[in-house]
Amino acid sequence: MPLDDAFQALKTYDWGTDRAPVTPITEAVAAAQSNAEARQDLESRLLAALSSDISRDAKDFVCRMLTIVGSTAAISALAALLPDEQLSHMARYALERITGPEASQALRDALPKLAGKLKLGAIGSLGVRRDSASVSALANLLKDADPAVARAAAQALGLIGTPAAAHALLQAQPAAPLQAAVTDATLACAEAILAANDPATALKIYQTLAADTQPRLVRLAATRGQLACAARTA
Amino acid sequence: MSWRYVFSFVACLATGLLLTPLAAADDNQTTELRQQIVALLSNPDREFRAAGLDQIRTGVKGTEHTQFFASQLAKLPPDGQVALLGALADRGDAAARPAVLTLLKSGQNEAVRVAAIAALGKLGDASDLPTLIGLLSAQADAERNAARSSLVRLGGPTVSADIAAATAKAPPSEKVTLLEVLASRRARGQVKTIITASTDDNAQVRMAAMSALGRVGQPEQLGEMIPGVLKAEKGGERDAAERNVAQVCAKIENEDQRGEALIKAVEQAGKEQSDQFLSLIGRVGGKKLIDYVAGIATGPDTARRKLGIDALSKWPNSSVADKLLEITKNATDAAERNQAFQGFVKIGATRDNRNDQQRLERMRQAMDIAKTPEERALVINRTRTSYSVEAVRFVLPYVEKEEFAQIACETLVEISHHREVRDRNKAEFDKVLDKIIATSKDAVVIDRAGRYKRGETWTRPKAE
Repeated sequence: MPLDDAFQALKTYDWGTDRAPVTPITEAVAAAQSNAEARQDLESRLLAALSSDISRDAKDFVCRMLTIVGSTAAISALAALLPDEQLSHMARYALERITGPEASQALRDALPKLAGKLKLGAIGSLGVRRDSASVSALANLLKDADPAVARAAAQALGLIGTPAAAHALLQAQPAAPLQAAVTDATLACAEAILAANDPATALKIYQTLAADTQPRLVRLAATRGQLACAARTA
Repeated sequence: MSWRYVFSFVACLATGLLLTPLAAADDNQTTELRQQIVALLSNPDREFRAAGLDQIRTGVKGTEHTQFFASQLAKLPPDGQVALLGALADRGDAAARPAVLTLLKSGQNEAVRVAAIAALGKLGDASDLPTLIGLLSAQADAERNAARSSLVRLGGPTVSADIAAATAKAPPSEKVTLLEVLASRRARGQVKTIITASTDDNAQVRMAAMSALGRVGQPEQLGEMIPGVLKAEKGGERDAAERNVAQVCAKIENEDQRGEALIKAVEQAGKEQSDQFLSLIGRVGGKKLIDYVAGIATGPDTARRKLGIDALSKWPNSSVADKLLEITKNATDAAERNQAFQGFVKIGATRDNRNDQQRLERMRQAMDIAKTPEERALVINRTRTSYSVEAVRFVLPYVEKEEFAQIACETLVEISHHREVRDRNKAEFDKVLDKIIATSKDAVVIDRAGRYKRGETWTRPKAE
């Protein structure tokens, strides 16, 4: 079976080697798009490979395949890779695309154990997942001593874009260097809320940002936002 | 801006009420934000003003809001009025029209009046025609131009017919503009009015009418355009009238049908008039018409032959070249021969869809039958339309002949101007350019030859 051979080839797959032997896995993953049973089978085989002693490049390849066929069954294996300097980003890449709250929970649970770029990545992934359940955790990180972490949290809240995320951003009292990121994220929230057809809530956010104390460009953006809200309600 | 919401929002923050979802805004928001838009119109920052104007253009829909925004016109300074008029016009709601008219009637500022006139074009209707037509005689150029543009733009089922009715009664200068307006409106239904004007006693009116017919006329109207050609004074007006008829002919795709339609239209004018249209026939071209004109150009009547040769010489392409060559060879009258020869060289050198070799071949034929130094010089001159090294080789020997040396140098330097030909044959061109530099007495020709030899370009000075 070419697929069996491909999984066999995965054991010796590494940077610089011919990718052709593992191509049947890519093709099988693509073909399994509408076949739940095949997807599940592939996921099991990929997870088995991930837990075995294969090269970094092979694991990278497996994570890429799991972005397509991965399910909640893959979460623990992927979460285990989050502290791995080399594989953390590819594991997040897969986790970002697995539906359901468990993947977000795994990312949130990993936050206290991560530092530096890996932590920033996990925060970013929670934003990409637009995980409203992470607002509280991210709001706490707005006060983090590391400005990069606080900035990433603000950006993630902006991506989540719910009233609660906006509220967290508005309540934050960021230090001057972080102010622009928080304002930008707040505007992003207002836009998302307006796009979600809640002009009344968006309007209140815009009105706060239109205060004379805000920089000119923020006031201009907020003014345009208020007018967009008016157009929706008029 | 609305401070009420800022204060209430800050109060909410203070009491922690925002921990619950933000409350829905009440209906008064619209009114308050409408006020905010109005406030933005007076903002000193142009980007804030633009934000407000943009909302008037595309947001806050509804007649009531339009009227509210229009009511602000009277409260703004002139530049604000101009901006708001533009935004209201783009909004396209006729509910703003009364306020625009009021401002137009009372406004003294030219920029405001121009903006109001322009807005009427988008917001007005047939009842605004008298106002706009009256403004065609305004003192200020900008107002007249705005009125003309608005007449072109004005919408409504009867507007074109109303403009046509006004055209018939208008004084000449106004009639000219209204005819242009009808053409710009593509008012095909009003073509009768335009046809009537094409034989007006006023030359400007006739020219405007024929120009309008060129734009909106259809092949069915060709016969009705012919009296306009006859009425046109010979020279510029006649040329323009012929071009407009040719423009309508060009709407017939099939060449034979085009020729038949024109012959039919011309014959409606009567046989005795038909010779007056040979020039027009030449402009339109086509195989059917070649036979028609060639019959006259080789017929028994000397005067008609002259007209026929003239028509062949104006042909839009080289399809008549053989006919002109034949006439040149067979002509017994020297003047007639010269006329046909000149026409042959002109047509043979025309840069139409033939290639450079085909054009050069025509020039070789012309040189073979040239009888005088003037005719040879003409051929050398026109060879410049063949951008090829073969053309250079054809002309080069004449550099050695004193009577042709200067025109030959001029032609050679013109061909050398084309880098794509020159660069492919650099060694040969370098020798030719050296020869030009050594022979020519024209400083510009020598300068150009030097530039081309150095690989430089040359820009023709603009005519003053």
